[in-house]
Amino acid sequence: MRTVWNIAKREFTSNFLSPLAYVVICLSLVLLGIFFFMVWGGGFWQADRATMAQMFQWMPRGLAFVVVPVVTMRLLAEEKRSGTLEMLITLPVKDHEVILGKFLGAWGLVLVLIAATALFPIFMFWWPWNLGALDWRTVGSGYLGLVLFSAAAVSIGLLLSALTESQVIAFFLTWATLLVFTFWGLAADTFSNQVMRDVAAYVSFDARLAPFARGMINTRDLVFFVSICFGCLMTSFWALERRKWA
Amino acid sequence: MIEASSLSKRYGAFRALDKVSFEVHRGEVVGFLGPNGAGKSTTMRILTCFISATGGTARVHGHDVFDEPLEVRKKIGYLPQRASLYGEMSVWEYLSFVADMRGLDRSVFKKRMRDIVEVCGINQVLGKDIRTLSHGYRQRVGLGQALVHNPPILILDEPTSDLDPNEKAEVIRYIKEIGKERTILLSTHNLSEVEAACPRAIIVSKGRVVADGPLDEIRTKSGRVRYVVTIDEKRTFDRDGTYRKGASKTAPTAQEVQDALAQLSGVSHFKELPTDDRAHSFEFAGSPGSDVRHEIFQLCVQKGWYLLELRREARSLEDVFKSLTKGDERLDRGRRVEIEPDDEVAASEDEDEEADEDADEGDADEGDENESDEGDEGDADEGDADEEASEKDEKPSGKKA
Repeated sequence: MRTVWNIAKREFTSNFLSPLAYVVICLSLVLLGIFFFMVWGGGFWQADRATMAQMFQWMPRGLAFVVVPVVTMRLLAEEKRSGTLEMLITLPVKDHEVILGKFLGAWGLVLVLIAATALFPIFMFWWPWNLGALDWRTVGSGYLGLVLFSAAAVSIGLLLSALTESQVIAFFLTWATLLVFTFWGLAADTFSNQVMRDVAAYVSFDARLAPFARGMINTRDLVFFVSICFGCLMTSFWALERRKWA
Repeated sequence: MIEASSLSKRYGAFRALDKVSFEVHRGEVVGFLGPNGAGKSTTMRILTCFISATGGTARVHGHDVFDEPLEVRKKIGYLPQRASLYGEMSVWEYLSFVADMRGLDRSVFKKRMRDIVEVCGINQVLGKDIRTLSHGYRQRVGLGQALVHNPPILILDEPTSDLDPNEKAEVIRYIKEIGKERTILLSTHNLSEVEAACPRAIIVSKGRVVADGPLDEIRTKSGRVRYVVTIDEKRTFDRDGTYRKGASKTAPTAQEVQDALAQLSGVSHFKELPTDDRAHSFEFAGSPGSDVRHEIFQLCVQKGWYLLELRREARSLEDVFKSLTKGDERLDRGRRVEIEPDDEVAASEDEDEEADEDADEGDADEGDENESDEGDEGDADEGDADEEASEKDEKPSGKKA
């Protein structure tokens, strides 16, 4: 675990040695504010309810289409292109520790961003303003959903970054994959086949996150995100190992 | 300390390594030579457990590279070909990260840093971001990270590539300095660096070891030996009253000298050198590994000739390298070099004669020198195995890509 921690720490802090982390966090918070207060059905004020449901609807999309692709695109692709991967792997470290360290480092940055969005409900419903009686348990389950979703999304980004040496390709592959998974549920109704409809609804991130935003925590949803995360990390490990036999 | 036994590596149809075997013993500094694409980096990547071999075995410090990769990595310091470092980190942060990865205590790390800073000369840049450093300093930092845990074995893959001459000299000086206490396998195609830092060399070509031994041995065994003999053409022992039985009473002619020398075993390629009118001077080649100086001396005594000069010269390491690796130079940075008809014949002969390189050295001579120069200078990444594979696969056709 020591090496995993060292890699994760380096990965996490390296984001803050460049403008990347600051730009991503600031830009994300600004965009979230715009969507939260202005876009959704006329904005939060038009809802006229003490709820953060709008935030939990917009945040996964912001994470999927902006944050995660940017954060994960360079994880392994850039290391392979620049040759730093050879330096890293020839240290006394196992391949799965590299994958796990990279994952934790990138996920850590996304979690920082998610944590920063907690300022919205805190400022609006606790201090300095108190705009109503917010159901904090619903907020908690919404954040749990975001944490799980971000883990799955980062693992997908890490996997796609492990398959290419180009950051740009990794970015667009991640973006496109998360786009498909996010909106797949919307396409479910267009399928005439019932099985296809069920499958589309089952693998849709939107559909899986909706219960969390309503305060419902289903075991199936938990398992879904954890399974994606585990599967992608395993495949990333395989993708990294294949260099040995190429 | 390092044992490679029949190491083979295939990239698809391309055989990057073909049963490479060698040993590097404790305290040796060994130059690992070969043209681009010969298999140097592939061998080093196998030894550092970055990639796996298709066949064969390798042990580093007693640990098998396939079964105990972590133990192997703990014992080696490795500097890859392009010393790629995390540019956003400062030198201190980077070396500290490497020390953490190697499990060094902070106190041990700080103690080690005192030595590294001195040996590698990075005191002035410790606080600077790596991306702002010159190639030379990055290379020094790369050396520093390889030394941070005080490893008994160093594997350095072209540590002087991309450096200017002054920086190269500095890095070689560092290697000599740190090589006093360690086993070092140094890959390069700069032969002067090997001559400066390594008592022993291993030369690989087309994925095979074609020479392995002390530099002097490689020079003599791998190529013909050149002799220069100069005989006084005015005087003999007899004229001076120091007649000996069997000696000529008259001054020798050039033809007589050449004919007499030609009787010696294994000599050939006679060439008379220009001299003043007091001496006959001949240059000729001896067979590899032989030494006919005693016979020449005896001949002169017997004939009553005054021997003014007798010189035996092994071929330069550069000549040996060129002749041992001829054919590889046609892999000229990813493009095909047009092969003259004569060279095509030579190339096809090479394929047949590789198993007995030594015996054919004399015929190799200087024929491919110009092409070889081009091949030697390149620094194409050996990791681009697919490119190499396609180049190698096309080679027998002898046509342009």
